Amino acid sequence: MRTLFYQSNLIYKEKNMDINFSKEDIAFRDEVRDWLANDYPKHVKEKTDAGITISKEDLIDFHKALSKKGWMGYNWPVEYGGTGWSASKLYIFNKELGLAGCPPILPFGVGMVGPVIYTFGNDEQKERFLPDILNFNTWWCQGYSEPGSGSDLASLKTKAVLRNDLDEDYYVVNGSKTWTTLAQNADWIFCLVRTDNSGIKQEGISFLLIDMKSPGIEVKPIITIDGDHEVNSVFFTDVKVPANNLIGEEGKGWTYAKFLLAHERFGIAGVGASMRQLKRLKEIISKLDNSDLQKKVNELEVALSAIEITELRLLSALENGGHPGAESSILKIKGTEMQQALSELFVEASGEYALMYPGPHGYENNDKPAGPDYAAEGLSGFLNLRKTSIYGGSNEIQKNILSKFVLGV
Amino acid sequence: MNLDYNDEQNMLREQIQKFCESEYDFYKREEIVKSSKDFDPNVWNLFAEQGWLSMPFSEQSGGLGFGPIELSILFEEFGKALVIEPYLSTVVLSGTLLDKSTFSEKNDLIEKICTGSIHISLAYAEVDKGYDYLNPTTTLDSKFILNGTKTLVLNGSNAEKIIVTCNNDETLNIVILDANTSGVSINSFSTVDGQSCSEISFENVKLDKSNIVATGNDAKNLLKETINLATLCICAEAVGCMESCYHKTLEYTKGREQFGQPISGFQVLQHRMVDMFIESELAKSLLIKAMLEVNNRSDDMYKHVSALKSYVGKSGKLSAKEAVQLHGGMGVSEEMMIGHYLKKMISVDALFGNADYHLKTFS
Repeated sequence: MRTLFYQSNLIYKEKNMDINFSKEDIAFRDEVRDWLANDYPKHVKEKTDAGITISKEDLIDFHKALSKKGWMGYNWPVEYGGTGWSASKLYIFNKELGLAGCPPILPFGVGMVGPVIYTFGNDEQKERFLPDILNFNTWWCQGYSEPGSGSDLASLKTKAVLRNDLDEDYYVVNGSKTWTTLAQNADWIFCLVRTDNSGIKQEGISFLLIDMKSPGIEVKPIITIDGDHEVNSVFFTDVKVPANNLIGEEGKGWTYAKFLLAHERFGIAGVGASMRQLKRLKEIISKLDNSDLQKKVNELEVALSAIEITELRLLSALENGGHPGAESSILKIKGTEMQQALSELFVEASGEYALMYPGPHGYENNDKPAGPDYAAEGLSGFLNLRKTSIYGGSNEIQKNILSKFVLGV
Repeated sequence: MNLDYNDEQNMLREQIQKFCESEYDFYKREEIVKSSKDFDPNVWNLFAEQGWLSMPFSEQSGGLGFGPIELSILFEEFGKALVIEPYLSTVVLSGTLLDKSTFSEKNDLIEKICTGSIHISLAYAEVDKGYDYLNPTTTLDSKFILNGTKTLVLNGSNAEKIIVTCNNDETLNIVILDANTSGVSINSFSTVDGQSCSEISFENVKLDKSNIVATGNDAKNLLKETINLATLCICAEAVGCMESCYHKTLEYTKGREQFGQPISGFQVLQHRMVDMFIESELAKSLLIKAMLEVNNRSDDMYKHVSALKSYVGKSGKLSAKEAVQLHGGMGVSEEMMIGHYLKKMISVDALFGNADYHLKTFS
């Protein structure tokens, strides 16, 4: 048996383990850093560095800057005007933007509806919608959740009935969607609607694109506990939607929705952004001479490293032609727990000044902040980030997914 | 970027797995634990025949020249089967220290380790010194007379030779001596995980220059590096344990019926098992990082081993406690394997600096 190993030493010239990125990837990383240093809009950077919530215009400027560089279609194939990046480049791009404190790229257009349109849409739809997504000329929002359908999404009730008037085919949509992120800014909404009630609940769902200017749509703000207006209720009353806004086949919407979820695999853990938060937290805590806080921040640093390497393992599996399994659910759970834990430690580091709260946008220009300047930002982050373990399939739903696919129970 | 094991490494893992399944089941292990020696000479000979005792040594010393990656594989599999043979003590702590030293008789000793014909223990710990191994109170005077007491010497009762860290005029020395040298007294006791360790006293033990393995900075670096490698190994062992805790608990809950159904059907248990699975994957990620850093001898290798050690110290115990809980009464039965993982986790956390210590070291 001992000789077996000597022999195999000679026979196998297998690729050895290597945790470093290739030269090409490093060069790409430098290109991203270069863009961040020179072309990432300065007025946006100033606000995010100061921890102030950015405006609609700032967000548009940020996305337009990405479009200008040709990076808006970061996850799209070249064929549809995307970058065609490898998994490792996509990872690097996400991480560097997070490290630099960029706002998250709004996922609704480029990350969600875009891939559904170029995969299941017809040529007319591709031509009509894809270029505007890449140039950020349309702002999309997502119409999935309903007041009665959260984790049990397939129970959704918003109804679309096909009609024909004067040779025109159209749907009449009635119902409501909720938790619709930034619907107040949106030009279009992609919706899961019920077109059939006869079979099992997943089978009667269709995927419909709706113009937010359509008569009968009403957007009402929902103010979250951080005081911000980020999400909304959207009401549909006899909204007329042209039938050619239907994606793919009627009744197949659930399949497209699941495809969409699987497509949003990367950056789900938010490692880059968490690393940035950790670094700032370490600086703050190092000045406080508090061994309890020091221990907590050390624990988070170790745990974040574990999440980062778990994401790299997923990346390595993809690069080597493997199929990722449970990793994305692990990353969703642990990544969001990390974001929340970091923000909570910001609040703890504020000590008694956690009492003061100026609201989500920080102090106005003329106000003098009471206590450390990170107190307000920490608190708004802490309150705002509660959402991360709830959205995108709550962390409990992720554990159900893992129970089914990993435990096999 | 490639984080997959190569074919040779996968073959090694398979070979160890097969061995543990056929030659080292839990009943066999129990026999060994209850025996007077705390290891099985036949099993040790089989280890030698498979080449495992030669794995980490350089080819110049007659070894196979394998590194931290292969050692981690071996220890992960040992962890799953709860192997108690004194591999850590003889091969990793004593063997690799000698291999990296300039000690004149090292080739002879390493050959004996490879063939399984000698056990050597490293006496690095002292009472009241905590995890500070670099400043021992045991002294070696100018006439090479050794005085002091070492504690928690793994496999001390079986060792024919002992490697001792000591202080010679404020300089760290590492010496090696026969266990039966006059003035050496050995008191042995069992460890929580079924191994044994010893308290060894040295009273005016006469040595000479030929006993010296290393001095000064060489000795310091040798000791630090050896302990770091051994720490990596027991962390890999813990990662193996965590994987087994999860697998065995899942298997158990699928077979155990209460209220007319397998208890694995209960969501509250499912989510706890998912947590065990996640923890074992995250620990595995930190293991991969640490073993690659040690393999590359990077500047950060100590830091990453500390990160790993602090993590498995906490999450390893957590996984094992969950495993016991989900096994119900069976979890606390001595005759079931599952509770023994918890004991192993206690010993892993206690050795070479516990979770809190390494969390501090890490920062």
